[in-house]
Amino acid sequence: MTTLRWLVFGIAAFAMNFPILVTLSTSFKSARELSTNPGLWVQAPTLDNYLAVFQVTDRLNIFLYLFNSLSVALIGTVLAVALALPAAYAIARGRLGERTLLPFIVNLRAVPLIIFAIPLYMMFQWLALLDTRLGLGLILSIVNLPLALVILVNAIRDLPGELDEAALMDGASRTQILFRVIAPVCRPAIVTSLIFGFITAWNEFLFGLMLTTSKAVPITVGASFFFAASGGGVQWGVASAVMVVGALPPVLLGLIMYRQISGSMTAGAVKG
Amino acid sequence: MAPISLKKAGKQYGNLEIIRELDLDIADGEFVVIVGPSGCGKSTLLRMIAGLEETTSGQILIDGRDVTAASPVERKLAMVFQSYALYPHMTVRRNMGFGLTLAKLPAERIREKVEAAAETLKLTHLLERYPKELSGGQRQRVAIGRAIVREPVGFLFDEPLSNLDAALRVDMRLEIARLHRTLGATMIYVTHDQVEAMTLADRIVVMKEGRIMQQGTPQALYETPANLFVAQFIGSPKMNLLPCLPGAGGLDLSGEGSIQLPLSGRAAPAHLGARPEHLSLVSPDSGHCRGTIEVSEYLGGTTSVFVRAGKLGLINVSAPADTPYRLGETVGIHIDVARSSLFDDAGKAIAASR
Ligand SMILES: Nc1ncnc2c1ncn2[C@@H]1O[C@H](COP(=O)(O)OP(=O)(O)O)[C@@H](O)[C@H]1O
Ligand SMILES: [Mg+2]
Repeated sequence: MTTLRWLVFGIAAFAMNFPILVTLSTSFKSARELSTNPGLWVQAPTLDNYLAVFQVTDRLNIFLYLFNSLSVALIGTVLAVALALPAAYAIARGRLGERTLLPFIVNLRAVPLIIFAIPLYMMFQWLALLDTRLGLGLILSIVNLPLALVILVNAIRDLPGELDEAALMDGASRTQILFRVIAPVCRPAIVTSLIFGFITAWNEFLFGLMLTTSKAVPITVGASFFFAASGGGVQWGVASAVMVVGALPPVLLGLIMYRQISGSMTAGAVKG
Repeated sequence: MAPISLKKAGKQYGNLEIIRELDLDIADGEFVVIVGPSGCGKSTLLRMIAGLEETTSGQILIDGRDVTAASPVERKLAMVFQSYALYPHMTVRRNMGFGLTLAKLPAERIREKVEAAAETLKLTHLLERYPKELSGGQRQRVAIGRAIVREPVGFLFDEPLSNLDAALRVDMRLEIARLHRTLGATMIYVTHDQVEAMTLADRIVVMKEGRIMQQGTPQALYETPANLFVAQFIGSPKMNLLPCLPGAGGLDLSGEGSIQLPLSGRAAPAHLGARPEHLSLVSPDSGHCRGTIEVSEYLGGTTSVFVRAGKLGLINVSAPADTPYRLGETVGIHIDVARSSLFDDAGKAIAASR
């Protein structure tokens, strides 16, 4: 029985991760091997593709793209959570905008982001935010806001109101309650919002493509520059390597923080 | 320490009137227990006094000062919640000291005060623990400790013992009584448990549907309930209610018996209230009424004998435990008339019966 179970699990895991495996294996193949060996197994592994990726030229700079992605993801995440936390407290406790504001903000996630493209482009042009890390970070914080808000509203709702009242009796102001009682108790939910936000922001492509040209290009957009690095056809090996490099940070973050995330997702289910 | 007064205090949620024009004066150092069935507005009243709930009409005075619009901290009261409401991310020490930290007391003073309170409540060895590492009783003591540390002018308790098991409840009850003696502080204690009310209170306030039904010492409420509601609510086991009518020379017990009793002319008794402990079993042809034994419950010290007495219904008699009672046996019931109460049709006590 267990053998069968492991077999099924193995096949499912393999099928789901197949594209990743192909990309990984391709990134270690030389251009010559690529044209002869379509299989997963690499006959003569080489780091040439990675060396090419990390080569800084006047046209390509992977370090800049990574740094840009890191900056905009941090801005887009920290700002989103910083805005969502007080809002979530007001919604969960004061019941402000529970019927109107919350559904409206949450529904932002359902709207295709491309709708925002044209007005945002014009606004950013006017504000001189085009091709800046701050500009892209601001937009990403809006992208992250709905999920952060939902996670935090639910986390705060799960806390008994008597906790706030005990703090009120102790002489805490609403701000002190939020930052000294609610926020520390909701730490798992806050960390979850930060991680999800970071991953979303890092992987975002559309706004990066639209709002940046050179200085603030994030890795998702920068990676596509490598596809035809030396003219001619697509260099699949280099393209794969740059994708591996670009995908590594969020994947590692997800794995490291997995316990934290799964812990807080079920935290509300069983009251401690 | 301070007296607390409510002057026609009221609370409305929209059109719903939860507390109705309530007057209550609590003396300095008094232990007042507010008791009533679930949903009668006890918590709401307590939270109005605390300042956690807005008072929509009337006034609340603490130490003669109008605090109706004051914030909770300005009222200098401390509250112990039913769920304890300890801060889960703080140790016992920080839980107890949080109010003082917010008040910006020097760390050294906070340490002294917290340790003194911990000493009183035998919490010293738990100071560095987190709430999740404590038992229910220990958590409740921390909650009380957190209240003591701030040296409030009064303590508010909202059903503080209802999450504890029966044995612990008795211990904590004694501890709260001891605390009241040593601190001499004004305490307002809300419960739906009349045993807690009887044992702790200097004065009991019985509430129903946002109104005070009666207030007085536990003894006064037990001996002279002002109405049927209080009569039924206070005392365990419950008071028996025997339907009756004015009859020749006294009371007619619905045709099942009679009681010689001088009644004033205007009194129109409709119920005779008699506590089980004021009834006794006698031979069938003596006593005020008779019936057959339907159930008997041995309680150790006494036996609760339930007697089916025709139109009078099932009557609970608290009888000595050392005699055997046979089910189906016909017995007479003697009523200690001097210690029973009469109520009119509207449920109001008739004072003239005494
Ligand atoms: N926020 C509220 N809105 C409307 N009604 C409420 C609210 N809070 C409490 N109530 C009502 O007030 C009444 C008294 O509640 P409460 O004071 O908690 O009763 P108790 O503590 O005596 O059990 C209940 O009927 C309850 O439904
Ligand atoms: Mg209550």
